[in-house]
Amino acid sequence: MKKILFILLITVSSLISCDKSLLDQDNPNTLTEEQFWITESDAQRGVNAIYHMFYQPGTWSRWIYFRLDLTSDEGFSKSPWIELADWTRFQYVNYNFLEGNVITYKDTYKAIFRCNQVLTHVPTIEFADENKKAQLLAEAKFLRGFYYYYAALLWENFPIVTSLQSPTDMPEASTLSDVWALVESDLSEAAQALPLQWSGNDIGRPTKGAALALLGKTYMQQHKWNEAKSALDYFITGEGTTYYDLVAYQDNFRAENENNKESVFEIQFSDAHKTAEGDIPSSTMSTNRAQFFAPRSIGWSDGQARYWLVTEFKKEKTVDGEIDPRLRYSLFYPGLEADFGDKVYGRSWQWDADEAWFRKYARDYKQNHDDYFNEVNNRVIRFADILLLYAEVLNELDQTANAYPYVDRVRTRVNLAPLAAAYPSIGNDKDRFRERLKMERALELCGESVRWADLKRWGDLETQAGIDRVAQRDPDFNNFVLDKHIRLPLPEVEVANNPNLTSNNPHY
Amino acid sequence: MSKMITQRCETNIRRKKLTNKTKGRMLTLAFVFILCTCVFAVHAQITGSVRDKDGPLKGVAVTLKGSNIATQSDAAGHFRMATDQVNGSVLVFSHIGYVTQEVLISGLQPVEVILEAAHTDLDEVVVVGYGTQRKQDLTGAVSVVKASDVQKRQATTVAESLQGLATGIRVRGGGQPGSEAQIQVRGMKNLSGTPPLYVVDGLITTANRDFNPSDIESIQILKDASAAAIYGSRAANGVIIITTKQGKKGPAQIDVSAKSTLQTTPRYDLARTEEFARLNYMAYDNANVPRQDLDMTVDTDWQDAAFRTGKVQDYSLSFSGGGDDGQYFISGGYFDNKGAVISTGFDRFNFRVNTVTKKGIFTIGENLAISSAKTDEMSGNPYIDVLRLLPTIPVYNPENPGGYGYGDERRARTFGSNPVAIADLEDRTNANLRIRGNLFSELQFLPFLKYRFNLGYETSRDHHTFLRKAGSWTLNQPLDPSRYHENRAESSTILVENTLSFEKDINQHRLNILAGQSYQRDRYAQMWGTKRNMLENPAGGYYTVLDQGNEPQTGGFARRTDLISYFGRFEYNYADKYLVNGIIRTDGVSRFGKDYKFGTFPSLSGAWRISQEDFFQASWIDDLKLRANYGTLGSSNIGPYDYIPIINTFPTIAMGPGQVTLPGATQIQLANQDLRWETLTQQNYGFDAMFLKNRLNVSAEYFISKTKDVLIQYPLLISTGNDGGNPYTNGATLGNRGVELSVTYQENTKPFQYSVTANITTLRNRVIDLGYGQNRTFSGNTVTEKGQPLGMWFVLETDGIFQSMEEINNYQNADGRVIQPNAQPGDIRFKDHNGDGTITNADKVIVGDAWADYEVGLNMNASYKQFSFSMDWFGSVGAMVFNGPKSVTDMFSDNTNYRAGIQPWTPENPNTDVPRAYYASTMNSRGDTDRWLEDGSFVRLKYIGISYRLPSSLLDKIYFSEAQVTLSGQNLLTFTKYSGLDPEFNNNSVFQKGHDFGVFPNLKTVSLGVQFRF
Repeated sequence: MKKILFILLITVSSLISCDKSLLDQDNPNTLTEEQFWITESDAQRGVNAIYHMFYQPGTWSRWIYFRLDLTSDEGFSKSPWIELADWTRFQYVNYNFLEGNVITYKDTYKAIFRCNQVLTHVPTIEFADENKKAQLLAEAKFLRGFYYYYAALLWENFPIVTSLQSPTDMPEASTLSDVWALVESDLSEAAQALPLQWSGNDIGRPTKGAALALLGKTYMQQHKWNEAKSALDYFITGEGTTYYDLVAYQDNFRAENENNKESVFEIQFSDAHKTAEGDIPSSTMSTNRAQFFAPRSIGWSDGQARYWLVTEFKKEKTVDGEIDPRLRYSLFYPGLEADFGDKVYGRSWQWDADEAWFRKYARDYKQNHDDYFNEVNNRVIRFADILLLYAEVLNELDQTANAYPYVDRVRTRVNLAPLAAAYPSIGNDKDRFRERLKMERALELCGESVRWADLKRWGDLETQAGIDRVAQRDPDFNNFVLDKHIRLPLPEVEVANNPNLTSNNPHY
Repeated sequence: MSKMITQRCETNIRRKKLTNKTKGRMLTLAFVFILCTCVFAVHAQITGSVRDKDGPLKGVAVTLKGSNIATQSDAAGHFRMATDQVNGSVLVFSHIGYVTQEVLISGLQPVEVILEAAHTDLDEVVVVGYGTQRKQDLTGAVSVVKASDVQKRQATTVAESLQGLATGIRVRGGGQPGSEAQIQVRGMKNLSGTPPLYVVDGLITTANRDFNPSDIESIQILKDASAAAIYGSRAANGVIIITTKQGKKGPAQIDVSAKSTLQTTPRYDLARTEEFARLNYMAYDNANVPRQDLDMTVDTDWQDAAFRTGKVQDYSLSFSGGGDDGQYFISGGYFDNKGAVISTGFDRFNFRVNTVTKKGIFTIGENLAISSAKTDEMSGNPYIDVLRLLPTIPVYNPENPGGYGYGDERRARTFGSNPVAIADLEDRTNANLRIRGNLFSELQFLPFLKYRFNLGYETSRDHHTFLRKAGSWTLNQPLDPSRYHENRAESSTILVENTLSFEKDINQHRLNILAGQSYQRDRYAQMWGTKRNMLENPAGGYYTVLDQGNEPQTGGFARRTDLISYFGRFEYNYADKYLVNGIIRTDGVSRFGKDYKFGTFPSLSGAWRISQEDFFQASWIDDLKLRANYGTLGSSNIGPYDYIPIINTFPTIAMGPGQVTLPGATQIQLANQDLRWETLTQQNYGFDAMFLKNRLNVSAEYFISKTKDVLIQYPLLISTGNDGGNPYTNGATLGNRGVELSVTYQENTKPFQYSVTANITTLRNRVIDLGYGQNRTFSGNTVTEKGQPLGMWFVLETDGIFQSMEEINNYQNADGRVIQPNAQPGDIRFKDHNGDGTITNADKVIVGDAWADYEVGLNMNASYKQFSFSMDWFGSVGAMVFNGPKSVTDMFSDNTNYRAGIQPWTPENPNTDVPRAYYASTMNSRGDTDRWLEDGSFVRLKYIGISYRLPSSLLDKIYFSEAQVTLSGQNLLTFTKYSGLDPEFNNNSVFQKGHDFGVFPNLKTVSLGVQFRF
């Protein structure tokens, strides 16, 4: 009996002394944060991950187009999803509405988090080539500036975060001018280190030109015309001159001839992964814009173009008496087949006589449907935009006469007469020039997500009279309340949970 | 006196030495010494023996009436009592489970007493984790559910059939084939919706859908800290212990049962084409939108298309028996459910072998179950789709890709999904093969010392398939090619346990000590693959193997959790009067960081059987036991690596002229590295009493619990940039308190036997603290605030309907501002709670919660001769619930079908609570108002059944020992004001328990079953 007890004791005690190291289980699935941000390759992957934010629905794969294109007087929504449509016509009821507000706000901060990780960790990584390191940091700076630029356009008083956040961190409230100042410094610094051109598989990353173009836009939104001019001089008189030119108009909106000479900054979409969005294995790298904007019975048809664009296109013929060819590539409209012989995704017009849809980036030129896996790059900034902006800057700087050639360059590409010939009454009248330039921009750039910034920059929404004029083109602006709807409300949850934000944006 | 005690003890010791020469037994002397207590002066002795009809009874309390003198019978039933007076004394023989007997003594002849068994269940043995206790010895809150009550119901899972059978539990399930009901023990004690811990034959597992309920021998629900503490860190949400059937000594017994069931789903009462068109035109006309060109020639009843009569077949067969040295139980089962929604189903094969063998001091046994289950899963939600599709849409339309009818821009503008199409075009299956079992051996070294080694193993091989056929089910759907996805996963649990138990009775003292150690390892790994453009099979369908198709995607992941535990239990019982129970368990888990892995969870409980006291004279009370306990439990329902910040390596980007794919990596989700155990402290006070000759049994509990360091995924500020889910933090503190009362009356002595059990449970929960110093968190239409129950409804309050422009213009705030200037007669009036003269989100208020004030169960059983009858009612009172389906049918802002007979406001028909129908504006149809909140109280006949047992005269002829036919029904009657399909619905969200989003309802069922034994 004694023996048995002894054996038992030994057995039990040996079993009881379970090895505590069993409790130290590492995650077998991926790197820990501690194991990362050590090598050059880590830095490169960290920067790449920022670009992946372009493929997430709050940003450039879907919903931002509802903010920039549909909210502007170029577009609107007839979506049966009432709340979705309400958020394109200044009927903001629930400030936490995901698709209308929160998702874009959130994805913007997600992108900023990725930028801040690079900007925090990469400086301590040792590189064989310091220039490479500077370029990576400059890419992160550019992208952070890029996201803050759109945050400034949409929410204006967007709380600035430039450091890594812990779960309990709460940023201070920021004003629009704080945000612009950050965008200016990020883009200026990025411009110093970014290359003039990339080569090989790096083509598509921001160049010095991309940084200066966005910097120019940033200055222009603040009416800092002199600073804007010196930023944009890069394209006109500076070292960027040789890199940029205009190409066949339609080549700006198709999957072929991407990253061409007209492209200043372009978001790279691909249909290589036909899967879900988000940060999952093989997640999609495509844009869904065309699926959401395609006409009824083809796509979701949650957004469409205002018909005044068609009318404006038809007001001026080319020097050969043809319809402005840009209409063909810009819009689906009732006369498309009659005017140019093009069908709408292979179908003849079957919609209302006063309706139009955006055609840019749609794939109807090669297939009869669209889907969630559209691979057409978005030319966020193209050279024609720069030319028109440069003209605008010169005009604002009272150099109206000097501004003409840049507008003409854009017009003559599509066989329109020089501006002075077509509209002789403008002359050197700054205001008339500006008014015409507004329409030139609409015809060249409609549906390219620049209109909302344009309306704000032009001050068209800063007086009731201005709003009323816009409302003639887009009756949604009858809902627009002066000084309120010029910016979006911050998400209500964010105001509620951050005691540093004492109030939402004015009048919300 | 003290000298005498010492002497007496020494005598005891010496005698023991003489009788048992084993030195090993010396170990027990310490206990013996401790337990020596008072003795009295001796002049004479009464001797005798106690037995029942089966043999000698051990442990019967024998007391001399009117004195403190008492003793107990030994294993042979003998007792010996010293007293100074014999003649005329009255001895009282009491033993739990027996009718107390008084015997008048005359002379010194040995007294022979035969005790009669009382009709109570007190002598039942209750499994309490790593051992058993007599039910009468329980000091904690343990509900014992009769296996037969569970098995009589037709259910897929055990949890589902527990509804109304025990206090302190909240059960919600639904009729979806293969779905698993949710069960909550004593309220929400954390925010992760953690189910209780299931312990099946000692194996920590789940009694999910592949577990065969007919294998169950007993179910006990450990509800309070003292009962559950032996499972320490995983017991905070309660423990459900299931023991499966074992063979019994005797000749082989064969049991066969077969049950066939029909299921029908409750249905909405919806408009048909004519009524629909009238209402649809009204909504368009009111909104000044040109009417759509409805196809009046079509009148589809979408419910007919999507629903059908479900069928269940449930067969089981078992063999059991054994001799003195070993017993066996072998069972097999087949369960097949053809769902009440088209293209859904579930089937299960079960096989089980439980055996145990004994030789000398050595016992070895095993329990092994193999099950194979397969679910044909539902696609989309037909309970919403049938509402969103219009009766003017045909089920089939050859013009659409795939050939199914759905919305049309001109004729039927809805984005509802065709349930027939989605059922056909999406094919989801989920199958698994599970092997679950344990092997144990016991060494009974000494009569009072036992060592047990338990090796548990469970593995499940899971296989999920998803086929997306080409074709559309909704308007404007992007054209997707066929796609096939398949994943295979493997989970395994290994459990190694060593326990040592000591059990000894010395006179009136009974001592049980348990010490043990356990190690558990859980692993899971999955791999998946997807292809597109699958090869079509000319014979129909597709070739669904991953060799076919193109554009492959693959993936996979693994996880592992280790748990090391030490535990001990101490039970002491003095004369069945005083019971003390102490438990301690220390758990270490790999889920937490270095400094937080270990947690210790102690509990202490006591009970006083006051009815055993001599001063207790209430003869109408047969038994009364008071209980109290206090203890700590843990919980940590988080992922295995949540405390480690990780890098997500999935973001890839396209770059360059060839759009090559380049890798990215970054941190996406923030992590709190100091995560630790949630700890629940609970106090429980209760009593168990028997009255009226043990016919009336009353048990009551009152408990107060508080969970600290609740792991909560409190929403971070968006500005942190966090994504992939909010990281866990030990933020919140939750409190629960409740009363549970169960009353049973039974009459077993007459030919008409019956029993009635009524139980009632009340529960109050309260958020004591939330994470990150925050006061409130929102989820859907609910707010969770400090000091309030979880998930209070937080909505705009409606205040009737405007009847005239005058009313609208007069509806002003204090400053004279017209509050709803854009309203028209027939629109909803909202309350401007903040008085700012407009209706905004700032006007939302708390209007109630989704928690029942009380839930009741009423179970009745009766039998007379060959017939028996059984009926279970369940009721829940006081919950406020959100009727999601009604917010669809009554909205008018988007095209859906409407409720039949709905009366929207019109100038001609102003006396209605439905605002005017108005297309394309959410003004009257907002989802965040109290318009959709309803009283969710209900009383339901959960089960009713009648059985006929064939008389034995007949059985003998056919060599059966038992045969029974049962006709039963479930959910046949429901009394409720709730206008949705089922007030007993289940929502898995922690904060939105009361939101019926079109949940698969409980079904009405009728079953016919037969049972044979031979």
